[in-house]
Amino acid sequence: MEALDLHCQMILEEYREALPRLEQLKEDVLAKLHATLEQSGLIVTAIEARVKTEESLAGKLSRKGVKYTTLSDITDLVGARVITFYTADVDRIASMAEQLFEIDWQNSVDKRKLHELDSFGYNSLHYICKMPGYDFRFELQLRTTLQHAWAAINHDTGYKSGIEIPREYLRRINRLAGLLELADDEFSRIRTEITDYRRRVQNLVQKGQLDDVLLDGDTFASYLQAKPLDALNKRIAAINQAEIQDSPFSNYLAVLKALMCNTLGDVNRLIKRYEDDAYLLARHQLGNTDLDIISSAIGLQNICIVCILSSGGGKIGLERLFDALNGHNTHNEELAELTYKQALNLPFMNKQ
Amino acid sequence: MTTTIQENGNQVIAFFNGRLDTAAAVATTEAVKPLLGASNKEIILDCSQLEYISSSGLRIFLSIRKEAAAHSSKVIVRSISADIRQVFVMTGFISLFDIE
Repeated sequence: MEALDLHCQMILEEYREALPRLEQLKEDVLAKLHATLEQSGLIVTAIEARVKTEESLAGKLSRKGVKYTTLSDITDLVGARVITFYTADVDRIASMAEQLFEIDWQNSVDKRKLHELDSFGYNSLHYICKMPGYDFRFELQLRTTLQHAWAAINHDTGYKSGIEIPREYLRRINRLAGLLELADDEFSRIRTEITDYRRRVQNLVQKGQLDDVLLDGDTFASYLQAKPLDALNKRIAAINQAEIQDSPFSNYLAVLKALMCNTLGDVNRLIKRYEDDAYLLARHQLGNTDLDIISSAIGLQNICIVCILSSGGGKIGLERLFDALNGHNTHNEELAELTYKQALNLPFMNKQ
Repeated sequence: MTTTIQENGNQVIAFFNGRLDTAAAVATTEAVKPLLGASNKEIILDCSQLEYISSSGLRIFLSIRKEAAAHSSKVIVRSISADIRQVFVMTGFISLFDIE
């Protein structure tokens, strides 16, 4: 790097004196961004900020120091960056930033819009902002995770602009930029479609059109929101005046599929068909104990046990059930044997 | 009823010995307190010498599990007898715990 002239050295001295205020500005910007994003419920990959190092500033001054009259003419002394999952989130956060900070529109650039047919790179939204109480402006970059990956790797090549880059690499780098842009768009489209799908499913569940809804993790969660097992669980809890502890149902999805439930309608019929026998099984097991705490999964667990035994699945069927619920282990055979014996005299066993 | 806690690298092991009933619950709740703040650990509840578990005992296990989840720790219930395993089935907690 060339030695700095007197003017640039004065700016550098000004920077040294301003450093504590720049650090404070960085902290305040970070705190505002964190608080606003937390309040909005928007989840992002990262929120980061830095104060330009003296070395980096000296480099900038040696290249274009003549442009700056004072330190406050430099707009990226403090830089903040929010990295999002989706392109639509960049726009949402941009709109939040417009409320939070004063935007210097003349110096802000939406590099995404600059791209023409012969454009280079895959860039982000850069706002130059001002925060009340500070003389210095700061730069806020908003980009998606893929944009960030591209920018970071491209930065690693050491080239500052498309003009510097050798032609043989330019085309390949542009191809990658295009690929990542397509991937970003596709991720956004998938998110939109998943949201639509969940809305459609909720609508069908609310209307009771359960046979139209295929059973999967999403649809099962939607179905459970209507608390179809509550009545059975409460009946079981009443046996010993037990409290009901919420438990996840995720392990039951595979079990229900193994029991030939393909739609929510199938699940609903399974519950209706076996809930009385599931209650009888619980009464038989818990009635002579003083166990006064049960899991919210007990109703569905007993429905599965009754379904397996009623349809002739026997001990092997129960062992497979416990394998699915508790992971495969050697004790499940013994557990299946015990449960089978307990159920042996119950009415549903004699319906076969 | 006695409860002994042992740390072994990334694992914290609680050894339960005797009958974990209502009478033993207060002392056991006190004894397992060191487990509750364990971060990023594998918490083993060794039940090889546990003869009986009541609802109070299940509540202690549930609170250990809840605290572990909040501290990114994992709970494994180890070496339970057939009778106690059956208690986990009868109450529906078999799918909640990692039981070895």
